[in-house]
Amino acid sequence: MTADNPRLRLGILAIVVCSLFAALFARMWYLQVLSADEFRLVAQQNAVRTIIEPAPRGRILDRNGVVLVENRPSNVVAVDRLQLTVAEREQLLTRLSPLLGVPVEELTEAMGSRSASAITPVTVAEDVPDEVMIRLRERQDEFPGVVARRIAQRTFPQGTLAAHLLGYIGEISAEKLEELEELEAEGEEVPQHRAGDFIGKAGIELAFDEELRGEDGVVSVEVDAASKPIRVVDTVPPTPGSDVVLSIDVEVQRVAEQALVQGLESARGRRFTDDDSKLVADAGSVVVLDAKEGSVTALASYPTFDPAIFTGGLSQAEFAALNDEGAGIPQLNRAIQGLYAPGSTWKLVTASAALRNGLITPQTTIEDRGVYRIPNCRGPCDRQNAGRISYGLVDVRRALAVSSDVFFYGLGNDFWARQEELGETAIQDMAAELGLGVRSGVGIPGEREGRVPTPASRASLHEENPTAYPEGDWFAGSNVNLAIGQGEISVTPIQIANAYATFANGGTRFEPNLALRIQRPDGTHVRDVEPRVGGTIPIAPAIRDVVLGGLRDSLVVPKGTAVAAFAGFPLDQYPVAGKTGTAQAPPKQDTALFAAVAPLGDPRHAVAVVMEQAGFGSTSAAPVARAIFGQLSGLEQPGPVETVSGGRG
Amino acid sequence: MAVGSVPSLRRDAAAPWRHLDGILVAAAISVALLGCLMVFSATRFGLEQQGLDPFTSLKRQALFVVVGLVVMAAVAAVDYRRLHDLAPVLYLGSVGLLVLVISPLGTEVKGSQSWFAFGSFQLQPAELAKLGSIIALAAYCADHRGDLDGRRLFTALGIAAVPMALIMLQPDLGSTLVFVAVVMGMLLVAGARPRHIAALTLVGTIGLIGVLRMDLLETYQKDRLTAFATGGSTDRQGAAFQLAQAKTTVAAGGLAGSGIFAGTQTKLGFVPEQQTDFIFTVVGEELGFLGSATLLLLYGVIVWRLWRTGLLARDGFGMLVCVGVLAMLVFHVFQNMGMSMGIMPITGIPLPLMSYGGSATITIFAALGLALNVHMRRFT
Repeated sequence: MTADNPRLRLGILAIVVCSLFAALFARMWYLQVLSADEFRLVAQQNAVRTIIEPAPRGRILDRNGVVLVENRPSNVVAVDRLQLTVAEREQLLTRLSPLLGVPVEELTEAMGSRSASAITPVTVAEDVPDEVMIRLRERQDEFPGVVARRIAQRTFPQGTLAAHLLGYIGEISAEKLEELEELEAEGEEVPQHRAGDFIGKAGIELAFDEELRGEDGVVSVEVDAASKPIRVVDTVPPTPGSDVVLSIDVEVQRVAEQALVQGLESARGRRFTDDDSKLVADAGSVVVLDAKEGSVTALASYPTFDPAIFTGGLSQAEFAALNDEGAGIPQLNRAIQGLYAPGSTWKLVTASAALRNGLITPQTTIEDRGVYRIPNCRGPCDRQNAGRISYGLVDVRRALAVSSDVFFYGLGNDFWARQEELGETAIQDMAAELGLGVRSGVGIPGEREGRVPTPASRASLHEENPTAYPEGDWFAGSNVNLAIGQGEISVTPIQIANAYATFANGGTRFEPNLALRIQRPDGTHVRDVEPRVGGTIPIAPAIRDVVLGGLRDSLVVPKGTAVAAFAGFPLDQYPVAGKTGTAQAPPKQDTALFAAVAPLGDPRHAVAVVMEQAGFGSTSAAPVARAIFGQLSGLEQPGPVETVSGGRG
Repeated sequence: MAVGSVPSLRRDAAAPWRHLDGILVAAAISVALLGCLMVFSATRFGLEQQGLDPFTSLKRQALFVVVGLVVMAAVAAVDYRRLHDLAPVLYLGSVGLLVLVISPLGTEVKGSQSWFAFGSFQLQPAELAKLGSIIALAAYCADHRGDLDGRRLFTALGIAAVPMALIMLQPDLGSTLVFVAVVMGMLLVAGARPRHIAALTLVGTIGLIGVLRMDLLETYQKDRLTAFATGGSTDRQGAAFQLAQAKTTVAAGGLAGSGIFAGTQTKLGFVPEQQTDFIFTVVGEELGFLGSATLLLLYGVIVWRLWRTGLLARDGFGMLVCVGVLAMLVFHVFQNMGMSMGIMPITGIPLPLMSYGGSATITIFAALGLALNVHMRRFT
């Protein structure tokens, strides 16, 4: 090739130029035609920042409008764990500590909080003064990963009152978000959540999360390359959440909690009659239901906790304390999660079943000599009344009043003897219809079901796990134990209260509501929470009258088990019908129970008191109920609750 | 043909204009007008934000285009063969300016001492030096056509090496690279021996690697050169960020673009130096693939006309001038668009007739004037 051939050389040049242009064209095609969507998204994210304005959460009010939970603005400082290495985190906390006035150790502990999600900043300080917030924001570059923001925190004007009921809120977990995403992918309607959102995690906060939550506002701001806001593109103001008006009456709740604490304290001064050890009386619960409204008036569980500790995340120590078995697992809501043998409070079931099935009439009597021997029996065949007391000639009404075990042992045996005719589970059927061994449906999560054993269930449990359930057969003795609420029965306090409410209101078993209505923050009505009927059970007025009569007698007739506890109570103005119970709970001391309804003519309130390791229901539990009825009736100023002497049942 | 007709034809000053390359002129003016619009789009919002007249940049760029057209006409008017005679003067003059600019008379902007400041206008002598060198190289090579042996090749390289070295001192890496492209293109067509071309390519490649390896460059220069290959960095000032934003902006335009003045990346200033080196990103975002391809097509037309003029040129000098201009333009276009689309390193080379700036715009017009000159006089 020589210079004499410039055409060839120009040709080479042309080829080079064409290749370069082709390369540009190809790249253009790739970027603008093939990858445009992806880059357009990037450009959009560049230019628009969305600022979430959290919606204020609704309040929780009692039935009279007393505030139980509300919001209070709080300056919080949070640290984004993801942005920092462990070493950087330490350095950062060391620098933050003097500014916040919080020791490094506390900050470190807060950083390790287990309730906080890993992907959103962890709150390390609350109620930070405004000056400190301003300084932190001004010196943002010195504090990488530190977020200073103003948030609304849950606050509890009534302190620890109804702590178990109210529940708490916390940051939505990654698992929950995933779960919601999956549900949405399946085409289901789900609440919209973002990481960092606070949602109800327990109790009312969880049950009514959707109503309480409201809708976050969004401000979309166009920003320039220096992140300087240019203009507001769009503003959606937050819609505050609605208020939930509970069926709870703060005054009754307060009396219930105080009476329970005082009753337990007082019981600790007494001795357990079986072995003369001091009563432990370390836990208990009270349920007050409205038998007409189908709602909960009060729900107390002891030991309790301060619901405010959940605000801003739980520390390891706080979490441990809530679940400390030595301290009775304060987080446990015994009213719906505690399982107990009902003891003599169960006699309402057995008596009703016997009357309903014609096993006895109201006039049927037996001679109670204090001891019952199971006929045709091998092995331990003798059963006795508490303290072997003999009650003489008793009918069902008297048997209920004095809590004659012998009378009910006989019924248990008779039921078994006539199983061909009445079925194997006449007592259990009655119990189930009254809601015992069935979740009450109270609507806060975590409720337990309990168990009412039947010959079939015992056999199948034994078959599944012979070690845990060594006995697979059902004997007359099993029925005898069942008749007085012992054996393998386990029920929750709310089931007992609801069974009594159902019986008293003529047979409508409500699934107790916790709320009456939802309203807007300004009080505008949104919706009523309609009563929910879980089932109905026909109770003949004659049966109802005789059983409730027996329960009433237990407070008034000589040897009535609750006479001592209600001595001096204006029963003529406000007749109460109740049943004491003392349930064996080996290896623990006896559980003291009392279940009652009032006022007798037109029963509205049903109360169940259950106290662990507190001895007799008559001495420990009935006085607690008395205080509550004093408040409910308005007739007696509830004084300090003390155990009473007299009555063994 | 009558004997007297030749001098009479020569005296007819209007005669060459009948052979004006209208297509080249039309394409150049189209690109320049699009450039004005894009500069306006890239600067109006920022100027407004600063409380300035949003038309400031548009007006100035329009003025540069007008001046550029006048210069183009002036360059076309003087018979290019006289430029051949003036080549040493033009060459030495432009080299002299390069010396002056790195003396205290020059002005430093953004780390490079590349400008003379006259009030609100600046002159970038490196741009003039490109033309001076093209003319000088063309003249030298044309004088020795077909006989570019090793010694003459070295002389030709020396002609280019002096201004290159001076420009490196400013420093202005991009302009230096333009020289490389121009020299290679011209030597190829001028008849350099294939083995010399191969050797030069090899030396150039080794030299580039050596420069990158041996810390001869400032860190920022190296970053800019390598960011397109290394990618990823979140430093909002860094080269990689700049590159990523440029690419995003071009691609976000999609097929049809966001429409003029509607590009958020452009308006909100996500691309640094957008009205100058990254002007193509405005085309990309606001006019999309269709606009970008049209612009590429317009450049293609200009290059085609330059190439054709080189082919038709009456003499070797004319041909080599056209090839030099072509090589310069193609390198500018490829390097600049390639940089905006992430396939070439970042070097501050303007997009011809598009980027905001007087020296570059006027120089390109002058260069096109040279080609028009050759085209007009291809029969005389």
